[in-house]
Amino acid sequence: MSTLLGRQGRQTAMVACFLLPSLAVFLLYRILPLGWNVWLSFQSWSPLHPAQFIGLDNYDEMLRDDDVFWTALRNTLVFMSSAPIAIVLALGIALLVNSDLRGAAIYRTIVFLSYPLMTVAVAIIWRWMYDERGGLINFVLRRLGLVDKPLAFLQSFDLAMPSVIAADVWQVLGFHMIILLTGLQSIPPHLYEAARVDGAPAWARFWRITVPMLRPSLFLCAVIGILNSFSSFDLVYVMTNGGPGHATELLITWIYKTGFGQSRFDYAAALTVAQFALLLVLTFLAHLASGGNAGERA
Amino acid sequence: MRARGMWPRHAALLVVCAIMLVPFYWVVKTSLTGENIYAYPPRLLPQAPHLFNYVDVWYLIPFPRYLLNSVIVSLLAVGGNIVLNALAAYALTRAFPGRRWVVLLLLSCMLIPFQATIIPAYLITARLGLLNSWLGLALPMLSTIVCIFVFKAAFEAVPRSLIDAARMDGLGDLRILARVLLPLCKPAIATNVILSFIWSWNNFMWPLIVTRDPLMQTLPLGLARFLSYVEDTTGALYAFVVMVLVPGLAVFLMAQKEFMRGLTAGATKG
Repeated sequence: MSTLLGRQGRQTAMVACFLLPSLAVFLLYRILPLGWNVWLSFQSWSPLHPAQFIGLDNYDEMLRDDDVFWTALRNTLVFMSSAPIAIVLALGIALLVNSDLRGAAIYRTIVFLSYPLMTVAVAIIWRWMYDERGGLINFVLRRLGLVDKPLAFLQSFDLAMPSVIAADVWQVLGFHMIILLTGLQSIPPHLYEAARVDGAPAWARFWRITVPMLRPSLFLCAVIGILNSFSSFDLVYVMTNGGPGHATELLITWIYKTGFGQSRFDYAAALTVAQFALLLVLTFLAHLASGGNAGERA
Repeated sequence: MRARGMWPRHAALLVVCAIMLVPFYWVVKTSLTGENIYAYPPRLLPQAPHLFNYVDVWYLIPFPRYLLNSVIVSLLAVGGNIVLNALAAYALTRAFPGRRWVVLLLLSCMLIPFQATIIPAYLITARLGLLNSWLGLALPMLSTIVCIFVFKAAFEAVPRSLIDAARMDGLGDLRILARVLLPLCKPAIATNVILSFIWSWNNFMWPLIVTRDPLMQTLPLGLARFLSYVEDTTGALYAFVVMVLVPGLAVFLMAQKEFMRGLTAGATKG
């Protein structure tokens, strides 16, 4: 009996030692910051003067006086449209690639190629593609006679946001395609055979079999798309830095600017809380939209 | 008949591939162009192609220093991920009180995007005295939850009897992990290496926050700095872009399968 307890005790000690380093990293850089951030948002604090409790003043300022916050919030929601666009395109590509097509693996690799790239480099590539003089897009548009003078994509209040979204879709397309392909491959082929025997046309097979069976994958893509739009700092920072004006300002770039540009850590913390709350709400909504059971597979 | 029916698919996919590849071509072309890159109309082929821009990169910015920083931080991150994730995953394959809670904790941590923690994360790193240091740059990336689950799934697939036999032979937990499990789980190791390498190699926001000293900056920061410094007036910027992209692309192409498996495994477990 005593040896049994001893073994169990040793086992628990081993588990603790093995888990500790990883948990320390997560504690230090995920959990502790989350709590500290909330605490900070109720303080008046900067590196120069000591913390002082000010209740909801930071939130009051955010909601009532900070127009940029509202702009950034709206822009973040607009930027999020890159997720559904990318998912629909990726689904189309996944359906094309998911067959005994010759060269399917090569197509897959090429579509996926942009995903693992450094986003800063992707941002510079797209700045150059959109450039007024050296950019390919303006060159093609002018050659086709669609515009007579070059469009300043990233300097225009109307075009900057769609341009950044297009670059984002270009980068994440491959990721969604891979997730959806995995989902497609897990649909049992006999479902399609049965439907074909029953004489169901292709579109019916798509809406009645493919889409419902893909629900968990679509949910996953939606959640990752939402997370992505909240964390697309690199792309926007390098392509437009939130400009022109605040036309492409996202919550994350505004948090960075208030926190590290203006050293207003307290206020940036309040912005972060708002951003995180919004993220949780949207993830929950995506969960409901997927039928509420997406987490239960596997 | 069947082959003919495939042509519309090929045509559609070729258009998609062209859209995916043309931006790369445009940047490579610009990096090789000798004359004024702003001349209109731009040439579709590089005029008088040469590699001067690639040489310029070494002189215009402290490229070797950025490269060194990026390599060291990536090595720390990759090493940290293999060791810490394997240890944590091994612990999670054993039964112990509170295991459910640890798994739940890890899963909920996955929902916290790093970007939602930047301000306290910066303050914590400052208190630890690790601003402007390699360790400070690598610390938040030393262990990744997705990769822990990749290891855990691989360990669980190893037959129980093998581990029991090793234990009978008197091997301790560390030895079982290092001598029995890890050699049998090479694909999971590859996935860990690739994901942690790509993440740390590409990371931009964290280095931007914790490094003020130009000598401690990594390649993505150097790239962004170069952009604001030369206001993209020279082809050297695009040569720099190509040079930075090549290692990531090479790693990805060499180990595509592991990379995609890691993403989908992480995604479905998450």
